Amino acid sequence: MSEIKNKKILVIEVVEDDPSLRKVLRDKFTVEGFSVLEAGDGEEGLAIAFRERPDLIVLDILMPKMDGLTMMKKLRKENDWGKKVPIILLTNLTGDDEKINQAITENEPAYYIVKSNWKINDLIEKVRERLNRV
Amino acid sequence: MSKKVVIPKFSDVVSRLKFLVKEKESLRHDLENVNRATQNVLEDLQSEKEKLVKEKAKVEAIMASIGDGVISIGPDKRIVVMNKTAEKLLGWETKEAIGKLYDEVIFLEDKKGTFILPEERPLAKAFAGSITTTTTTSALYLLSKNKIKFPVAITVSPVILDNKIIGAVEVFRDITKEQEIDKAKSEFVSLASHQLRTPLTTVSWYTEMILNGDVGIITPEQKKYLEEIYQGNRRMIDLVNTLLDVSRIEMGTFKVEPKKTDIIMLSESVLNEQRPKIEQKKLEIVEKFNRDIPTFLTDPRLLRIVFQNLLANAVEYTPPKGKIEFFISLQNKKTILIKVSDTGYGIPKNQQDKIFMKLFRADNIREKATNGTGLGLYIAKSVVLNLGGEIWFESKENKGTTFYVTLPFTTNL
Repeated sequence: MSEIKNKKILVIEVVEDDPSLRKVLRDKFTVEGFSVLEAGDGEEGLAIAFRERPDLIVLDILMPKMDGLTMMKKLRKENDWGKKVPIILLTNLTGDDEKINQAITENEPAYYIVKSNWKINDLIEKVRERLNRV
Repeated sequence: MSKKVVIPKFSDVVSRLKFLVKEKESLRHDLENVNRATQNVLEDLQSEKEKLVKEKAKVEAIMASIGDGVISIGPDKRIVVMNKTAEKLLGWETKEAIGKLYDEVIFLEDKKGTFILPEERPLAKAFAGSITTTTTTSALYLLSKNKIKFPVAITVSPVILDNKIIGAVEVFRDITKEQEIDKAKSEFVSLASHQLRTPLTTVSWYTEMILNGDVGIITPEQKKYLEEIYQGNRRMIDLVNTLLDVSRIEMGTFKVEPKKTDIIMLSESVLNEQRPKIEQKKLEIVEKFNRDIPTFLTDPRLLRIVFQNLLANAVEYTPPKGKIEFFISLQNKKTILIKVSDTGYGIPKNQQDKIFMKLFRADNIREKATNGTGLGLYIAKSVVLNLGGEIWFESKENKGTTFYVTLPFTTNL
């Protein structure tokens, strides 16, 4: 358990100009003992990801500059680490969105959750479960 | 015998002659009168005839100028009348079409491009004596002679003369514009709902963290209040999800993704979601699950929506201490039969035909619960049809309702 607690989580979450979801995610992950890195858009996120190599990335889809799906693709192409880092996509879209489903299968290990239908505690569970598997 | 010759008096002869002349005069006069009368009658006839011809031309002009397509069919289902708009919409010339069978001229398809059989068309119902109106949502498509496909709204009614059906008249129009507007509306609902999800998530996650004690200890009183906020927010999220389901149905973006599904496990999980309310109302739940149903191919996410709606309704609309039966079985290895019955308020008989309509809520329910949307059964029906199944019900007011759902049992694609 203590090993997991020291894992680095990169939270890339910006919805329009509203940083409040990013803040709540940062606080929750911190409370749960993770060390958290933050980014406000895909471009910034990609740079931090390659520099810090986090153990898992929580990624928003709709973002300025570079959207989440594009960032995921670039990450997977760049190097071995980028190919394997687990990604949890956060979305407002419902699951039958063709683009997301396709992106998930093409970019494993990747998951998506519809934000409003998930409890933040369940998201933490999902992150833990995923990190335990590595 | 001697013959007696009476020689008339001259004066008598004269008067007789005068009489005859008068007679002749009078006859001639009568004849003239008759002549004149005949003439008059003929003239009247002529003018009546002219009037009739004019009237007929007027009726025909009205018919021809009606802005909707009109065709009329005789008892032998052959076309007898067709107006200009119908000509334009169908791509047939009136003189070609008249005398042809209705089914040779009118080709109807549904949204998916499946041909609609003659016996299922609105016309068949007109010959059975009833008026049918299809609307923008029933999505029928007409194929013109030159294979142009466009959405139509149709009204067909029987033509009745001396209490006998002597044919049918069909009025139809192109509803491309209406459908576009309807689509714009659905897209707006979809966009607005998606936008609402972000702030709803914000409220949900922050509240959850406070309730969780993540940012310090809260008093029991504060906890109660926060739970109210949390539940209210939950309800809003559910509502947004419902709206999104509706817009997905209407935009046709409901994708069916069949997966091997354990229907019993799915049912148990939906039932569990309802537990708090079931316990609160002290309802008796009878599960009659045929537990050896193998996994089969269906879309579990969509099926969950159906179960959620049927069970939530049963729980919501059954008075405390009532009974709900949940029945699932496999029939002839071909069909899954699901039954959800309750001892609830029931659906009034005169409103049973509207129960699957969007936004419809029965009168007896509206008085009892104000928070329903009238969308649940509409969604359930659309989803069941998308899954290739059927849904129907039996209900008696104040006795209860049973909903039936069938699904195709397939184990490989």
